[in-house]
Amino acid sequence: MKNRLKVLRAERDWTQAQLADALDVSRQTINAIETGKFDPSLQLAFRAARLFGMRIEEIFHDEDGLGATEIKKDPYA
Amino acid sequence: MNQLSPPGSGYESRIRTNMIRLACWNGAWIGTCALMSFGPKLLWNRALLLTLLAVGTNVGVGVGMLLSNKKYVEGLDELQRKVYLNALAITVGVGLIAGVPISVMAGYHVIPCKADIAYLMMLMSLTFLVSMLYGTRRYR
Repeated sequence: MKNRLKVLRAERDWTQAQLADALDVSRQTINAIETGKFDPSLQLAFRAARLFGMRIEEIFHDEDGLGATEIKKDPYA
Repeated sequence: MNQLSPPGSGYESRIRTNMIRLACWNGAWIGTCALMSFGPKLLWNRALLLTLLAVGTNVGVGVGMLLSNKKYVEGLDELQRKVYLNALAITVGVGLIAGVPISVMAGYHVIPCKADIAYLMMLMSLTFLVSMLYGTRRYR
């Protein structure tokens, strides 16, 4: 799963530690999510979406770069 | 643009507190293990009541350590919990895989040494340590 966490964080001039504190996780977890080594749970993804004031699919994408909106357009879905 | 508070007040400090508490319980448990093992011979000349008291203290402190460990794991975030549980799974597996054959071989005198539980504990401790280090480095 890919994500825009690093970009969104940089836009707001937040450090990994500040974001980690705001999401109540460790800095290591933020780093692992940003580098794509770890996929967050739905609960954590919701927390991140709330913090950035965005929808989950605007932050997290599957490997093909499709968010939930694009997937809904799939005729086979 | 949203402003966040400076880091250090939330998760990290809570984990540090839980870790210190767990370390204290671990230290206390090791202390009561030593008391239970060496006390009867070295301190109170095998007095039964004091030996039972030492055993009871060890079990009580052991329960405290267990609860403290549970609280520590519950306080971890999802990645760190995953690393911890992976390390625990590997440790239990290695303990079983190594423990049973050694016990059988010692029973049939295939190996010269006694299958002491202390060896198994040392092996499991080392396995857990290496697994935790590997897991932590993997997600760094």
